[in-house]
Amino acid sequence: MGPPDSPYAGGVFFLSIHFPTDYPFKPPKIAFTTKIYHPNINANGNICLDILKDQWSPALTISKVLLSICSLLTDANPDDPLVPEIAHIYKTDRAKYEATAREWTKKYAV
Amino acid sequence: MSNYQEEHGIQDDAVSRTATDDNEATRQDIRTQLREIFRLYSSDEDHQEDNTTLLELLSQLIPESLQEEWLEQLDQHDKKGCPESFIDSLPRVSKRNLSSTSACSICFSVFLEDDYPLVVELPHCDHRFDLECISIWLSKSTTCPLCRDDVMSHKVKIDSSKAELEEDWGMYG
Repeated sequence: MGPPDSPYAGGVFFLSIHFPTDYPFKPPKIAFTTKIYHPNINANGNICLDILKDQWSPALTISKVLLSICSLLTDANPDDPLVPEIAHIYKTDRAKYEATAREWTKKYAV
Repeated sequence: MSNYQEEHGIQDDAVSRTATDDNEATRQDIRTQLREIFRLYSSDEDHQEDNTTLLELLSQLIPESLQEEWLEQLDQHDKKGCPESFIDSLPRVSKRNLSSTSACSICFSVFLEDDYPLVVELPHCDHRFDLECISIWLSKSTTCPLCRDDVMSHKVKIDSSKAELEEDWGMYG
C-alpha cells in the first residue's frame, strides 16, 4: 500500500521477493512488479536501498525491510538516484514530480 | 599426389584468415566508434548527463546477472570478515545467564529451547547470538548484526587481558 502521506497513496504495489540460498546471511532480492515513478526505483522495479546491498544485516526481517521500502516511498533519496532524470525533477520541481507519481499510481497501481 | 596440407591445410588457412580479418575489421570499427562517442561526450562539461546515459547504454549490453555476479565478487573482495581466531575467542554465555525468552536475532530460535545452547557474546556491545549463526556472519563481516558495532575495533584490549589471566592461572593455580 502506498503510504498515505505520499503521492503513492491509494495505490497497491506488488513486489517480488527472492531468498538466496544463504539467506539471512545474504540480503533477499526484492523488486517492484508494479510500475512506480520514484527516483530510487527503476523501470525494472529494482530498488536502490542500502540495506538491500552492503548495509544488509542478518538480524533484519522482511517486515523491517518492507517498512524501510515504505519510508523510501515517503522520503526518496535523490542524492543516490537509480533514475537520474526523476531525481533531477524531484530536486528542481517537486510539484511536477508529485503530480507524475500520482498519475502513475492511478494508472498502474489502483 | 596431394598431401593433407594441399587438400585441407592451405585452403582452411586461407578461409580462416579472411574470417579473422573480417572479425578484426568489425572489432576495430566498433572500437573506433566507441572511442569517438566517448571523446565527444567526455570532452564537454555540458555533456556530463549524457555521459551517464552512455554508461547506462553500455551497461545494458552486459547481462544483469553477470553485473550482479561482478558486484558480488567486488563485495566479497572488499569485505573481509573476522579472522577465525577471533570468532573462536568469543566468550560463551552459560545456560544460567540466559533468560527463558531471549532468542538469537539471526535464526530467531529461543536459546533455551536447545538443551545445550552454544551462545556467545560480542565484545563491547554484549549482543548475544548462537555461535553457529554469528560465526557464519562474522566470516564475511566485522559488524554486529544488531547495532553495526565494529567488533574488531575492540579486539586487542579483550584478547590481551584474557591471555594474561589464563597464564597466571597456569602458573599458580
